[in-house]
Amino acid sequence: MAVCPNGHDSASEDFCEVCGMRIAVSAGNPQPAAPSSAPGIPPAGVPGTSAAGTSAAGTRAAGAGLPGTGAFPTGAMPTGGLAAGQGAPAVPATSCPRCGTARTGQFCESCGFNFTTPGSFASPPSYAPPSSTLPPFPGLQVPPTASAPGADAHVTWTAVVAADRAYYDQVRAASGSEGEAIGFPAYYAERRFRLAGTQMRIGRRSVSRGLEPEIDLTGPPVDPGISRLHAVLIAVLDSGWAVLDPGSANGTLVNGTEVRVGDQVPLHDGDRINLGAWTAITVYRG
Amino acid sequence: MTQSGFTVDVDQNQYLPEGGRDVSAIVTVTSSADADGIPAAATGAPASAEVIIIDCSGSMEYPHTKIAEARAATAAAIDVVRDGVWFSVIAGTDTAWPVFPPDGSMAIANDASRAAARQAVTALQASGGTAIGQWLSLARQIFAAYPARLRHAILLTDGKNQHQTPDQLLAALRACEGVFSCDCRGVGTDWEVGELRTISTALLGTVDIVADPSGLAADFAGMMRSAMGKQVADVALRVWTPQHATIRFVKQVAPAVDDLTARRTPSGPQAGDYPTGAWGPGESRDYHVGVEVNPAGVGQEMLAARVSLVTGPPSAAEVLGQGLVRAIWTDDEALSTELNPRVAHYTGQTELAGAIQEGLDARKQGNEEVATAKLGRAVALAHQSGNEDTARLLAKVVDVVDVETGTVRLKKKVEDVDEMALDTRSTKTVRVKKTQS
Repeated sequence: MAVCPNGHDSASEDFCEVCGMRIAVSAGNPQPAAPSSAPGIPPAGVPGTSAAGTSAAGTRAAGAGLPGTGAFPTGAMPTGGLAAGQGAPAVPATSCPRCGTARTGQFCESCGFNFTTPGSFASPPSYAPPSSTLPPFPGLQVPPTASAPGADAHVTWTAVVAADRAYYDQVRAASGSEGEAIGFPAYYAERRFRLAGTQMRIGRRSVSRGLEPEIDLTGPPVDPGISRLHAVLIAVLDSGWAVLDPGSANGTLVNGTEVRVGDQVPLHDGDRINLGAWTAITVYRG
Repeated sequence: MTQSGFTVDVDQNQYLPEGGRDVSAIVTVTSSADADGIPAAATGAPASAEVIIIDCSGSMEYPHTKIAEARAATAAAIDVVRDGVWFSVIAGTDTAWPVFPPDGSMAIANDASRAAARQAVTALQASGGTAIGQWLSLARQIFAAYPARLRHAILLTDGKNQHQTPDQLLAALRACEGVFSCDCRGVGTDWEVGELRTISTALLGTVDIVADPSGLAADFAGMMRSAMGKQVADVALRVWTPQHATIRFVKQVAPAVDDLTARRTPSGPQAGDYPTGAWGPGESRDYHVGVEVNPAGVGQEMLAARVSLVTGPPSAAEVLGQGLVRAIWTDDEALSTELNPRVAHYTGQTELAGAIQEGLDARKQGNEEVATAKLGRAVALAHQSGNEDTARLLAKVVDVVDVETGTVRLKKKVEDVDEMALDTRSTKTVRVKKTQS
């Protein structure tokens, strides 16, 4: 019986028989059974133990019982059983931002949401990893771990709305005769929005529908290709954002690639969202 | 992996871009060429059972050669049945009855029983209607009494299923699924390609047109020889996928296109079985499997599907071979945008089969624009993939103006036989072997 990086027990030893992740150790892959990755879970039944560094080696598979939160200086406690057995930089997210189910592994057991969406890691509060020799998954950015308990990396995201000439040319070329009526605005003052809360809707105000999007592109100048509710920016984990198109009339692009309706596309610093006939929203993480 | 004489090879581009979810692979299943021996015949339960179903409706007399050649072809097939195999011959009209053995049992093949069967077949007369569901039901009853491992039938008709409703045929067909496999042949041009294809697809067999009755004997002997060569019965493709993944499709793509996606039977947590029928030594078939997975992080590797070949009852299935379909997420665009040539080829062959069928349907309905567009696309695809057989069949139905762009003109007059030949053989594909690298 093997245990996969997400903590599932698997009879097959090459790939997890539940979630399919590779179990077999190969060069560059972190060993999933490494005991040091159990932040914030003290050995069961020992409340008040300092969270920093005490490894709960092997208790991951047993679903370590958690004492009351009073023992820990900050929130973001892993709930449920297997929150931390990743073999990856410890992720403190407690429940799925999409459906609220308690987190048990890399993927939400209920709706499949992927907790390891890149760019969404925040330093785990109240945790200093006992050893930093554990390599993170290749390709993922690991933010420097905070040594002081409660040190949240304060990250603010800004969305800058502007008119995008290059995108407009592309849209015109693709639209043929229908596109001829749409002109590029002579003047467009850049608008900045600070991303806050759990979601920010992008669209155009509609009194009849009672729709007041947080990023309201009603204008003037009005981009006729933008739907009333065109896209939504969704907060993921502690300080990441993703964009979702719930079904706009003309679609949404991220860095030039069209996003599929219903897909949450994680955003990185400097990503450009294009929508409508000439609008670009660039997000900055600072 | 080689176990029990089967190999399962997976050919794919396993690299996905960040956030990518679609995994596509060609799975080639080959049974080893050296037969370990003919399935045991003499002891215990029979290994193989064969039923030959002959249309004896009145139309088989017009022309008389149809029924005459059908008798000869049945005799030719009987001669190929190996000693020890159970067999029977039934006749079908708007009802069905056993011809040999006349009591509806099955005979063990040997020189005496084969001779007696040939004798009984010479007495076949053509008169009556056509209700193919009845023929299938009788075959099913006969097979049910003789639980052989390999159960196969040959069905010959010359006309449409006039004396039954489509629902009645479907009901009879559904009861036969999994009981026996059936290769269907239509002689002449008065039968319905769609009807026979429904039967052959459901019963995991082939379908073809034999335009000239004199070609029946060779065709029947060939089918029976192929049936005698089968060794492993009731083989299924078992596909396991991880939690939250969905199977988009499982299609056989060589030697012919056959969409198995809807034929899934659940067989365990996150696993389902797709039927592939019986296999003989040296047989090779290609399958195209498409899975949608939840993206993992860049650098992570996931098993998108585990494809195994299984046989035997669900409670004691024997695994004959296994292949792994992987997914590795990468930010290297050169890796993730590469198109696996075999996946691309078979995607094209599947599109080719669809284009032909849609084009022929449109032509029948008088929708010339759509027919021209679809058959034109088929011509281009057949040319690109080197599918010369299909290109030749297409050239009998359309005039090709430009083969590269697929510009064609519908022929004003198309012989039924040419149209039906194109229709029945539209699913035959050209194979692309994996290049050894």
